[in-house]
Amino acid sequence: MSDPRDNVQQEFLAEAQELVEALSRDLLLLDEAHHGNERIDPALINEIFRSVHTLKGIAGMFGYKHVGAVAHALEDLLDDLRLGRTPVGSQLLDLLFDSVERFQRLLALDDPQSPDEEPGVQAYIAAIRSIGAEPEPEEGDPLDKYAIEPAVLSVLTEYEEHRLRACIREGLKLYRLRAAFDLTAIDDSIETLRDVARDDAEIVTYLPSMEGGNEDTIELVVLLASRVPEDDLKAHFEGRYGTIEALEERTHLPTLPPRLTSIPSAAVSMGPHPEEDPSQASLRSVANSVRVDIRKLDHLMNVVGELALVRSAVNRIVDRFKSESMHRQSLMDLDRIGRGFERQLSELRTGILDVRMVPLGQVFNKLARIVRQVARERDKQVRLVVTGANTEVDKLIVEELTDPLMHLVRNAIDHGIEPADARNRVAKPSEGTLALNAYHKGSNVVIEVEDDGGGMNAHQLREAAVSRGLLSADASHELTRQEMLNLVFLPGLSTTSEITDLSGRGVGMDVVKTNILRLGGMISIASEQGSGTKITVTLPITLAIIRALIVTVASRTFALPITAVREAIPYVPEDVRTIQGREVITLRGETLPICDLARLFGFRGSSRKEGRFVVVGSMGNRELGFVVDELIGQDDVIIKALGKSLSSVRGFAGATDLGDQKVALVLDAPALFTEHFDGPGALRALETHP
Amino acid sequence: MNPTGQRATLAPDLDSETGAVAVLAVLAGDEAYGFPLSAVREILVPPPLTEVPRAPEHFLGVITVRGQIITLIDLPKMLHLEVEQTEAYGRVLLVDNGEELIGVAVDRVIQVYRMEPNQIEYASAMGAELSEYVVGVGRVPSASATDSEDMLILIDPVSLLGE
Repeated sequence: MSDPRDNVQQEFLAEAQELVEALSRDLLLLDEAHHGNERIDPALINEIFRSVHTLKGIAGMFGYKHVGAVAHALEDLLDDLRLGRTPVGSQLLDLLFDSVERFQRLLALDDPQSPDEEPGVQAYIAAIRSIGAEPEPEEGDPLDKYAIEPAVLSVLTEYEEHRLRACIREGLKLYRLRAAFDLTAIDDSIETLRDVARDDAEIVTYLPSMEGGNEDTIELVVLLASRVPEDDLKAHFEGRYGTIEALEERTHLPTLPPRLTSIPSAAVSMGPHPEEDPSQASLRSVANSVRVDIRKLDHLMNVVGELALVRSAVNRIVDRFKSESMHRQSLMDLDRIGRGFERQLSELRTGILDVRMVPLGQVFNKLARIVRQVARERDKQVRLVVTGANTEVDKLIVEELTDPLMHLVRNAIDHGIEPADARNRVAKPSEGTLALNAYHKGSNVVIEVEDDGGGMNAHQLREAAVSRGLLSADASHELTRQEMLNLVFLPGLSTTSEITDLSGRGVGMDVVKTNILRLGGMISIASEQGSGTKITVTLPITLAIIRALIVTVASRTFALPITAVREAIPYVPEDVRTIQGREVITLRGETLPICDLARLFGFRGSSRKEGRFVVVGSMGNRELGFVVDELIGQDDVIIKALGKSLSSVRGFAGATDLGDQKVALVLDAPALFTEHFDGPGALRALETHP
Repeated sequence: MNPTGQRATLAPDLDSETGAVAVLAVLAGDEAYGFPLSAVREILVPPPLTEVPRAPEHFLGVITVRGQIITLIDLPKMLHLEVEQTEAYGRVLLVDNGEELIGVAVDRVIQVYRMEPNQIEYASAMGAELSEYVVGVGRVPSASATDSEDMLILIDPVSLLGE
């Protein structure tokens, strides 16, 4: 079934995606440095250049003509940038940011050669070319200041030469570090050296020295530029790496090799330098990681699940033998081995789950780009504050989160944060703040999207719902403020009378909610008019395995995710009261709505009358008691999706294999909560929406 | 065990010079049905069934086959045929609809027929009101002495719960 050609294509797309993501990340750093008027790290520009250069290389190999053409034009521009021929400016940054979107679109094309894209690509390339290189100011060559051996100068790449000049012009002093490196680990060692040096010095180039070294090591001469006093540098590097000495400054003018006297003024499309071989660059960047198809991990997880079933089958046999005392010693041994097996199995499972985890930073980086773009389009000043980017979540969840979060972020800027003049009028700083916070809370991960904008107008939401016939005028008057805010999740409700191209294009909040619910999550709104809005999304950390409470209802077995369960109490039918047609009990002085699962699922008669339980579920700030017959116990279960044919049946998150070919349905707590509190109508309304 | 993603239909068997199709005939609720053999992955003794509350009536529930959760359907109900309450079914066919494996509950398996094109009447040609899941009707030599021919309702596995 797997066509090798397809596989190669997938590999390419995955790598291209990584490169574009890296590009996007680096551009944001560049943008930040530019706006903060900080010194721009030349390594950063070089990194951007390399990403684009590699992308150009691989796009060519796989027939992604447009990607290749755009990358090629960008490469020229970036080359000018890193050689200092073109300054960093906002027009240039805009073009660079555009490229990220453009690359992503072009990579998503079914036909990578599609002629439809040609005009757009050409126009973009023309725009890039129009930012021409500015000639480098002609002045005395700063290189004249130092007595650098012509042998060294002649092997510098154009970029290295440029950096060398720039460093001298900035007043940095040059040093020569001689150090021996282990041949087998030389790439890593040089990377380490770069890291160590980063704060104090810039590594301009390194060359093998003619002397020193033996079979396993090689001595390199590293040319450093630094403004740190010589003694500090010595303290930092000597002993760890070898000897360091300052380069002599020259007193008389040298004779230079001819190549250095003239600098090409036009953009030069360079072939890859030996050290910039694209395959090498990409190999190095992924040296410590492998890309794995998530389906392979799913498969491994299934195998682990099967092993657990085998283990419980063995347990049952052991239990059967336990009633006979004949093989006591063997049974004890078997028990011990079994426990060891279980421990290893659980480690294996944790290990696989761990592999599936990726930091939310992956999504946040994409969001940062959206923030920048939307803020510019809407002409608003927005500062993005991110916390908890390292919070890890299952890869599948991260994928599914991108769209809903993107919409929330757009909304926050589009409808939340006010234009600068409006903010000034109410004594807020002109720059609005958008915060993305992520953190773990129990076995959930919480993501908050918070803005300090104008907040939501609850009454306006209510009127909109009534005028669109989503709510009767009578019913609307009984709503609490929170319930009015929740109306925003109804399909077909949009609050801005002014249709902006952003909100008009985006999905509605109802779709955001549907997507979050599908992931087993919850979404809630807190908003104060005038001071801002906070949307909180609560999600399970992983979808694959959950700890569940196993219960029975009318002799049928169900699993209830433990994350949604707070406690279980005996059910006393006499204590049930009815308020507005809904059954409630009183628990520790608080009213708890209850839901009899046997009745909800239409099981007739067979449910027992006595000794039943109420499982108290909690989601966000709501609580709901599920009435069940028996509590069987807790178990780790692997959730498997119900077939596509059953996807329209609401209330179940999937099914799990309990062994012995017995299947238990896993209850979808968020959906049951929504159904109970917002009524089945709310669910049906969501279903009809695409 | 995963669906192959290929469309298994009543397209003629490429190995056959005459364009014959291999069809698995089964009995369900007093009617004989035919499935393209190429779409049938497995025939099972029915595993324990877990009903799914609130699912439409033609879904009997879910079963597990080597760790995979599979939806089991009641064929006559699916085709909106008025039949008397189905008795305990005797076999489950695992049918690949190109997207997922579907379990089809049947009373028993009859046999595999190699059907020549002239034995098949396509629904489109019959103009009769047939379920969307039915490709047509096939005529096969009768198993009983009284009739000369038996009729098979030919099922299109792709439309069976597929797109």
